[in-house]
Amino acid sequence: MALLRLSRSLPGLLVETSSTIFQRNISVSAVAAAIQKMTRVRVVDNSSLGNTPYHRPPRVIHVYTKNGVGKVGDKVLLAIKGQKKRALIVGHKMPRDCMSPRFDSNNVVLIEDNGNPTGTRIKVPIPTHLRQMEGGDYSKVLAIASSFV
Amino acid sequence: MNILCRSRLLISLVCRSSSLLEQKGVLLRGVSNKARCISAHLTSCQQHWLQTASVRSGFDTKRCYSDSGGSTHSESKDTFEEESHEMDDNNRNNGSFSQSSSETFTLDVLVSLLRQENAVDLCVIKVPDHIKYTEYFVVVSGLSPRHLRAMALYAIKVYKFLKKDGEPNIKIEGKDAEDWMCLDFGHMVVHFMLPETREVYELEKLWTLRAFDEQLKRIPAEVLPEDFILDVELTK
Repeated sequence: MALLRLSRSLPGLLVETSSTIFQRNISVSAVAAAIQKMTRVRVVDNSSLGNTPYHRPPRVIHVYTKNGVGKVGDKVLLAIKGQKKRALIVGHKMPRDCMSPRFDSNNVVLIEDNGNPTGTRIKVPIPTHLRQMEGGDYSKVLAIASSFV
Repeated sequence: MNILCRSRLLISLVCRSSSLLEQKGVLLRGVSNKARCISAHLTSCQQHWLQTASVRSGFDTKRCYSDSGGSTHSESKDTFEEESHEMDDNNRNNGSFSQSSSETFTLDVLVSLLRQENAVDLCVIKVPDHIKYTEYFVVVSGLSPRHLRAMALYAIKVYKFLKKDGEPNIKIEGKDAEDWMCLDFGHMVVHFMLPETREVYELEKLWTLRAFDEQLKRIPAEVLPEDFILDVELTK
């Protein structure tokens, strides 16, 4: 957790562990890579599987691309609540070329094996360049999205 | 041969109704005020919604065959604009009918072919311009998975017949899912679903009441995780 890392690096600094915003006197930099095996992802649809709390965050266990790197529009296999589920990546922290949206969290939408989305609504903004991408059925995910980027 | 005859039938249907529409133009504008008042009381109950949509369909049939059961036309909440805008739209549509209906795959061609295929519950939604996804969002039900597949394949056939060289081919999305298939023609998106699937997803509700949709409201507000850091700088 980032709070623990901060308190360890500056042993004299007292950090209050509350969920309110705290002032920091150090610069924090984050890793921003695409999605690969063992990355923790955030499920953004309103399915019950994605939203019920569990003691482990959903992790990617396999990426269905030639190299094991997942970008927006790639299908992955997640381990959620002890089950395996396929999902579609709809945003990642890695910067793409300029003038395309970059997200602050690795977002994923759960999908069944036949391609139908598991949830029925998506509140988080979805990139519209998914529509131009070849090789996948993105219209279903775009149809249940409520905001576009 | 068969496909050519059927598509010529479609095109002749379209031309015939466009002449009907010019006569009905004056009558439709009179209905518009009443329709807008009714639409203001749009409730979230689907039956009420369908009723109001069918009343409005009298007005919105600038591109439609006002005969008939089984079809509802509805406009999304954001496009209830001033009458002047709608009148211009009416004039523009009447003008464009004569040239484009014989050549391009417009909404009229799509709607008439879906009617011809006995599509159940055809619903066309005009998406407002600030949503840069598509212009028209069509949802259709079918009687069985085979019916859905047949409708989708027929739509593609007609599209291929009417398209010109520059336009891309259309892929059926969801070919292996038997209850939900999509076709994305640029300015139009068509979804073929079974009635049960349609009840689960309620796409018409989402696309007409954009932010006021019930299912969206039921999603609890997101709580940021404790270690979330805003404005974090990325290492290059």
